[in-house]
Amino acid sequence: MKGITKCFGAVTALDSVDLDVAAGGIHAVVGENGAGKTTLMRVLYGALHADEGSLELDGKPVRFGSSREAIQAGVGMVSQHYGIIPALTCLQNLILGAEGGTILNIKAAAQRAEALAKRMGFQFDWNSDASTLSPAGAQKLEILKLLWREARIMILDEPTAMLSPADASALFESLDRLAADGATIILVTHRLPEVLEHCNRVTILRGGKRIDEKAVADTTGSELAQLIVGGALDKPTTHRQISDGKTALQITDLSVKGSRGDLALKGIGVSVRSGEILGIAGVDGSGQRELFHAIAGLVKPTEGNITLDGVDFAGLSAADRIEQGVRVIAEDRHEEGVVEEWSLDENAALGLQRLSPFAKGGTVDSTARHAMAQKIAERFSTKHGGLNLPMASLSGGNQQRFVAARALCLAPKLLLAFQPARGLDLKGTQQVYDGIRAACAEGAAALVVSFDLDELLEQCDRLVAMNGGKLLEPLDGQSKDRDAIGRLMVGAH
Amino acid sequence: MIWRVIALVTGALAILAGALLVAHESPIVAVQTLIHGSLGSPAAIAGTLRETTPLLIAGLAVFIALRAGLFNIGVEGQLIMGAVACTFVALRIPNALGMILGLIVGMIAGALWALPAGLIKAYRNGHEVITTIMLNNVALYLTSALVSGPMKDKTSQDTATPTVDAATRMPWVYNHPPVQANCALILGVVVAIGLALWLKKTVAGYELQAVGANPTAAKFAGISTQRVTLMAMLVSGAIGGLAGAVQVLAYEGRFYSGFSPGYGFDALGVALLAGTNAFAVLPASLLFGILSKGGTALQVDGVPKGITTVVLGFLILIAAVIRYRKVNTVA
Amino acid sequence: MLTIALSAPLILAAMGGFTSERGGVINIALEGMMLTAACVDALAAPKFGPVGGLLIAIVAATSMSLLHWLVTQVYRIDHVISGMAINAVAAGGTNFLFLKFGDEARKGNLPSLPSWFFYTIAFVAPVLLLFYARQTKGGLRLLAVGSDPDKARLMGVQPIRVRFFGLLATGVFTGIAGVELVAYTGVFTDNMTAGRGYIALAALILGGWRAVPALLACLAFGFFSAIQVQLQGTAILGVHVPTELWAALPYLVTIIALAGFLGKNRTPAGLGRH
Repeated sequence: MKGITKCFGAVTALDSVDLDVAAGGIHAVVGENGAGKTTLMRVLYGALHADEGSLELDGKPVRFGSSREAIQAGVGMVSQHYGIIPALTCLQNLILGAEGGTILNIKAAAQRAEALAKRMGFQFDWNSDASTLSPAGAQKLEILKLLWREARIMILDEPTAMLSPADASALFESLDRLAADGATIILVTHRLPEVLEHCNRVTILRGGKRIDEKAVADTTGSELAQLIVGGALDKPTTHRQISDGKTALQITDLSVKGSRGDLALKGIGVSVRSGEILGIAGVDGSGQRELFHAIAGLVKPTEGNITLDGVDFAGLSAADRIEQGVRVIAEDRHEEGVVEEWSLDENAALGLQRLSPFAKGGTVDSTARHAMAQKIAERFSTKHGGLNLPMASLSGGNQQRFVAARALCLAPKLLLAFQPARGLDLKGTQQVYDGIRAACAEGAAALVVSFDLDELLEQCDRLVAMNGGKLLEPLDGQSKDRDAIGRLMVGAH
Repeated sequence: MIWRVIALVTGALAILAGALLVAHESPIVAVQTLIHGSLGSPAAIAGTLRETTPLLIAGLAVFIALRAGLFNIGVEGQLIMGAVACTFVALRIPNALGMILGLIVGMIAGALWALPAGLIKAYRNGHEVITTIMLNNVALYLTSALVSGPMKDKTSQDTATPTVDAATRMPWVYNHPPVQANCALILGVVVAIGLALWLKKTVAGYELQAVGANPTAAKFAGISTQRVTLMAMLVSGAIGGLAGAVQVLAYEGRFYSGFSPGYGFDALGVALLAGTNAFAVLPASLLFGILSKGGTALQVDGVPKGITTVVLGFLILIAAVIRYRKVNTVA
Repeated sequence: MLTIALSAPLILAAMGGFTSERGGVINIALEGMMLTAACVDALAAPKFGPVGGLLIAIVAATSMSLLHWLVTQVYRIDHVISGMAINAVAAGGTNFLFLKFGDEARKGNLPSLPSWFFYTIAFVAPVLLLFYARQTKGGLRLLAVGSDPDKARLMGVQPIRVRFFGLLATGVFTGIAGVELVAYTGVFTDNMTAGRGYIALAALILGGWRAVPALLACLAFGFFSAIQVQLQGTAILGVHVPTELWAALPYLVTIIALAGFLGKNRTPAGLGRH
């Protein structure tokens, strides 16, 4: 791949990126969230079209109009979100889309499937439903799907994100075997140990640019970590004195079940003082989402305690917690933060609808709501065409300003901000964080999740990292040390 | 998008006109007959308003469920259960007290008939459309068994209950037959106003609409979507039951086999046409009332009444294409 | 025998529901499609003979099911609304057509195919569908689209295409079902399906959206209808059981099944999704 450029609107996701992958072996592509790894892979897989740049396969220029063409050329991809349909059997999942004939020859298919599995050292009960597969089993089936389609170049996007360490190492064993058989594997990952142990070469992306390419044998974990997070940019960080604040949020031994039945949070403990902004660093899917949902009362933890200002949250509904002062700046504002077809005016009360001044004894106070909506829109200068227009008429960034201002408007006690500056420019980002800081100055505590380490280092008072459902606190004095945090979040101690 | 709508409307009109032409009827004359038969004279208008009443109240029942993101196809069943329960009470308790109790019991019966669908939707995630279709049929057979058995008027050949005493029925506002107007229509308008205000002015109404518009965001806003779903279904069922009770006490005077000619289904069309505003149910139900009364006039004229039902079907489709394209109501 | 006669149209309609719902298209319009076919057959059979009547009726039912495909898949409106509208169009349209053109058909004794023809199809179809779902490419793709249209798309399967053929089959099955009704009674009457489309849907749900269990559910429902016909007015053990109880039974059982009291929920996960 040469000079690949891809823009989404005004955002440049890839800026003339080169990628050379030698045949045979495992090539790692690493970088933070938003570095452009997945976008680059989707271009290679034909799921996205590059704005500029060219693609060469075995020395011949190729163009993939769709994933189907890429599959035909022998390029296959296992995406971060599994493509397994749970209601079908394993065998049906394997052959779907490449059945081979109108009437299925189940016996022959099962034989070939078994042969493929044996070659990889996998074991499958082909006639059982795919819903019975463990995350590791699903991942293995995905790899077999590529082999079934005779892919020579296999792209794996975060294959171990949902696997236990034992399953992950078993997976890598089979990948090593595949590579030894001459297959070319491109591995997209956050986890440096995987790169160091199993890959031949590594390409580092940051901010849509190719930073470097190295032979794994010539590099070390800390060098890679530094290349990934970009150590040179260290800005002077603001240190405020908040040590005198009393403990506001106290979480002990919190465990939460994930959507696949495994634990998404594994015994988390952390405390946040009143007036403090705690930044949570970590790659996407490390358990940040589940942590917020548990605090907000959207999921029931299997174990553990949450208290805010001494009030035990066990038994309190989500509505009760809102009354206690918990506010969420949700990750997905379209789905979770607003009702798009409603007006700004109506959206101003969403989540606060039972609180004064929005409600007066069970009735809606529309005068007060209108006044509040005005304030909320003005706070971070949301650009809008009128408060009675639907939320859908606002751009994403302006919706974000509105949602952030709404969370701050009624003296919050605890802010849960998931990427509060998502889609905002520098000035907007600063405004929102200034707003959070002002709320904290009034006694609130804040938890901020972001995938941008620089943003957290600049804006937060203290940082912790999450990795694989665990929360890791850096050693004393290292809470703003980018290298220390960077190592914690990629699992390189 | 707009071209697709135009294509659909044109297609529907062409089919209708074609059907009439093949049947050797002039489409223009048919439309004239329909309008004359429904709006051409005071008696015709009175008849249209009478047809409009159950459509209005049942339409409001569907409307309120739709605001919470639920398709209550069960209004038909809730309506006949409300009617039967109301008849039972009104036959035993005379005068105004019987009337008021009849209305209340009708509402309770409707709500109870909606309860299984609400519970299954809220706690088992079973699709409300399927459960309410099933409940409709059970209601149909149950009431049919009642009027041919224990509740039957023994003195009559009809499979029907005895007639409710005039003093127990809802009073006429204007009574010079054939021009009659019952206060039932006023009650329907009051319910419409009440619902509109409730949705606009109360926190509960706000939360109900939040669940209907974006259940995920509603959860993040601290709203119990399960409780709201159940409550919306009960309120919808109660209004559906009220529609049946009103139909007994204002117009029919008794319950009989085949009581509802499909008010509950037409009500779905009314609510879809009305969209997001309770007040819009008023003109929508009037339009359906006109089609219904005018259809009878067409029938007399030799054009089968079924043609108006075809019109209703296409109206529902067109309204849905315009309004409900993005809705994803299904589990 | 009465059980078989009463079950056959249910089975055929349920199989029509199978090819639609397993592909993820909610179909409450089975009723309307059957009714359309029944009416069209009654109108066409006197002129074109029993086979001609059957074919024209199938075309009519198929055009209704493809209308359902058009509005749900191309216009992407809610499947339930579309189904309601199609039922309304069918109920009104058959009323109009039959009153207008049905003079000849009203004489009774419509030419029809022998009943064994319909019974054979009714009992062979579920087995064929079982084979189709398990052993063919089309069947696999139908199930995949019905479970998760997005993931199926990722694997290069186009839901809109798969569902087109699913609904085409729905039209054929409901068409035969409607013709069977007319063949059995020898006449067409207004709204003669009388809820059979909904009972077929109930049977499909009870059968967990699987062909052979749905067949068994239809047979059970047919059996209860037969009891209802034969017990007309007679008392069991001295207690007078209203015949309506038997008629309501299929619906009651389905509600209990939907509440999750009868085994696991097998609803296709992609039902109603685009």
